[in-house]
Amino acid sequence: MPFGVLAREAGLDAVQTSVMSLVVLAGAAQFASIELFRSAAGPLLVVVTTLLINLRHLLMAASLRPYFADRPLPQRLGLAFVLTDEAFAMGAGWYRRGGRGVAYYAGFGITLWIGWTAGTVIGAVGGGGLPDPRSLGMDFAITALFMAIVVVGIKRPRDVVIALAAAVIAGLLRGAGLALVAVVIAGALAPLAARLGRVR
Amino acid sequence: MTEWLAIAGAAVATYLTRSLPLAATFRPSDRVRGYLEDLPISIIAALAGAGLLAPQQRLAFGPEIVAAPLVVAVAWWRRNLLLAVIAGVVVVAVLRRIPA
Repeated sequence: MPFGVLAREAGLDAVQTSVMSLVVLAGAAQFASIELFRSAAGPLLVVVTTLLINLRHLLMAASLRPYFADRPLPQRLGLAFVLTDEAFAMGAGWYRRGGRGVAYYAGFGITLWIGWTAGTVIGAVGGGGLPDPRSLGMDFAITALFMAIVVVGIKRPRDVVIALAAAVIAGLLRGAGLALVAVVIAGALAPLAARLGRVR
Repeated sequence: MTEWLAIAGAAVATYLTRSLPLAATFRPSDRVRGYLEDLPISIIAALAGAGLLAPQQRLAFGPEIVAAPLVVAVAWWRRNLLLAVIAGVVVVAVLRRIPA
């Protein structure tokens, strides 16, 4: 819903706003895009920014590949479309806890897709008048969910080292103004850090 | 019109990042496989760390960091994602109501 409201304020019409959520389905990149629309940036800058922010999905897709390997190509391409941070975290957490099959991941992915698009339509058409999610602590929910998935997924000492390294690197990079690439850099480097330290 | 071009381009760019590793057929070596197995926890922890340490895009010691140990403790002992999230959200909401 907040995306719908903010996109309208940035000058997109309700149809453009809704279609964007339907076909892009990437929260962080979409919020960055509307900042660019607001400052009248060209399409190329929007696309390049989106690409940079979503580079982390390359890593996510690569790590999910073993679990989808027995699926035919069209199904893998469909599963790829709903690969958001949240669907990845829920699915990867499920596989770490011993889950198999694609139903759990696909269920979350498709539900989030529908929810994100429906919320955007409501925000774009209905406009403001919503309570501030920050005052309710709701903006922390997704961070808390990511933390809980990590904690429940820890199996070896090395997982603790990787998780702490990734969290600190990502936090520092984002704090240093590199929010665009913080997660992809931290996510890619932390496993190497554990390897260098020879943690099992 | 330029908005539609930007939206279409953003959709293609996003889908490429998500689909390329799943479309390609490759047989990873043991080293690569080990790295791929470490990636999920690394990426999810990076997402958590970014939101925790720099919630407004700059480093800050805020209610989020105070609530973090509780989220970790509830997740560790109860093994329940929803309970851990609710505990964290309640603590952050309460702390934000207390004037600094």
